[in-house]
Amino acid sequence: MLEVSHVSKSFFGFAALSGVSLRVAPGSFHALVGPNGAGKTTLFNVIVGRYRPDAGEVVLAGRRITGLPTARVVRLGLGISFQRAQAFLSMSVLENVVLAVLAQQGRTHDGVRELAGYEDARAAARELLGWVGLAAAADAPTASLPLGDLKRVDIAMALAGRPQMLLLDEPLAGLSRAERREMVRFIEELLRGLGLTLLFTEHDTEAVLRLADRVTVLHQGQVLSEGTPDAIKRDARVVEAFLGE
Amino acid sequence: MKARGWLLLLLAALLALPWLLPGYALEVAIQALILALFATAFNFVFAETGLLSFGHAAFFGGGAYTTALLMQRAGWPYLLTLPAAVLAAALLALAIGFFSVRTSRIYFTMLTLAFAQLVWAVVHKWYDFTGGDNGITGLHPGALWGDARALYYLALVLFALGLTFVWRLHHAPFGYALRAIRDNPARAEAVGLSPFGYLLAAFTLSGALAGAAGFLQVAWQRSAFPDFLYWTKSAEAIIAAILGGAQALFGPALGSVVFVELGAFVQSRTEYWPLVLGLVLLALVLFLPQGLAGLGGGRARG
Repeated sequence: MLEVSHVSKSFFGFAALSGVSLRVAPGSFHALVGPNGAGKTTLFNVIVGRYRPDAGEVVLAGRRITGLPTARVVRLGLGISFQRAQAFLSMSVLENVVLAVLAQQGRTHDGVRELAGYEDARAAARELLGWVGLAAAADAPTASLPLGDLKRVDIAMALAGRPQMLLLDEPLAGLSRAERREMVRFIEELLRGLGLTLLFTEHDTEAVLRLADRVTVLHQGQVLSEGTPDAIKRDARVVEAFLGE
Repeated sequence: MKARGWLLLLLAALLALPWLLPGYALEVAIQALILALFATAFNFVFAETGLLSFGHAAFFGGGAYTTALLMQRAGWPYLLTLPAAVLAAALLALAIGFFSVRTSRIYFTMLTLAFAQLVWAVVHKWYDFTGGDNGITGLHPGALWGDARALYYLALVLFALGLTFVWRLHHAPFGYALRAIRDNPARAEAVGLSPFGYLLAAFTLSGALAGAAGFLQVAWQRSAFPDFLYWTKSAEAIIAAILGGAQALFGPALGSVVFVELGAFVQSRTEYWPLVLGLVLLALVLFLPQGLAGLGGGRARG
């Protein structure tokens, strides 16, 4: 589904990524882990087109997306949800998702018809909000939501284009223990149910072991190890890298 | 329903005004309408995208000079120059916006200011074409538009059209896309919106509306002067928008009426208008940050 090959990226002489390759199989949940500064965020930003890599390729569903702007990448079927839950705070929950739906369909150039009159997009948005369990909060102002709900809105927006694949950057960051468990179950049920491919980063080891089919460990801008969660747990190099942090 | 009743009453009052006001007061009312259109145009970009343009005088003056030059050099009838003035202002906004909307916040403000001052400098010095600092004077908008009442109604119609235009954009997906980019550019890109195109389109439309205001100014003064392009003209739109309330649809228009009427009143009595204006602005910023529209609790638009 997603193939990253030999990607390198330096900032002012510092090699944030050197020769990173990664293959995410269709339908799998793939975790990207590593200590702070390992290059996870840089790799994310390369995949979503925020950074152009110095070398290497990114291929999504057979299509080369290296260096394409984020808005293009998203419309080619990659849903993105950021670490800090982000929404458009001047709008209601429903308006956020309706706008995301219309943006995905390339219908946001309209300057005449009222957004509130787009029945089809509103129905699609309500369905998405149902998926993330926020149907009842549709008319609430986004600014009033707790963080956990904001993350769900963010995921609903990421799913607005009915992508084949989702990118989640630390979906559990900032949540309490109870909220974390709930979010893991939610992600698992929803995305498995939709048959989506998932690439995510996460610091919470427990959550990674629970969710991921495959794990790639980044260390100092390079792939240290790759395998099933069980294999990774036993990998001496990984243990050393994490404990040596 | 109540809001609609008030709106109809306001409309009736605006329509009756030319028959109630003496000549000088009507002239002031026209000036207020022109500034209202100009400030509404400026505020469209400011409120929807969060970008504060300090260069809208270029579009106001660009529209005015297009009208003045076409009348003086090509003998066009006044009204026919309207599409040309709007188009010229839009093209100018497209060009300036192309270089400016990529930058953000203070850089956008300074860049638009610099470009507008550049346009002003060209008009100010190009005696052979624009008349330089003498401006273009002695224009005759014809018997009809030379009449204050007719000009008032023309200004009222253009203002109403401009306001309707801004109102529609605000409620349409395009307006939501602009506010999404304002609220959170990174998230906007991640739902598939590329900011540049939207911001440039908004800036261009806003410039076009400002050009229509400049077109009206020519008939009101029967002249065009480089002052129309000077940065203080941009400041008038900013002051009017902040005075009335940038977050309210009617805010900039309300601020324009207060700015022009209060200015005329104070200037007829003292020479300390800038001092009075400064005190009014100070009081507003300190006690009424939502602008005069905040008095009615009118945070919502339309």
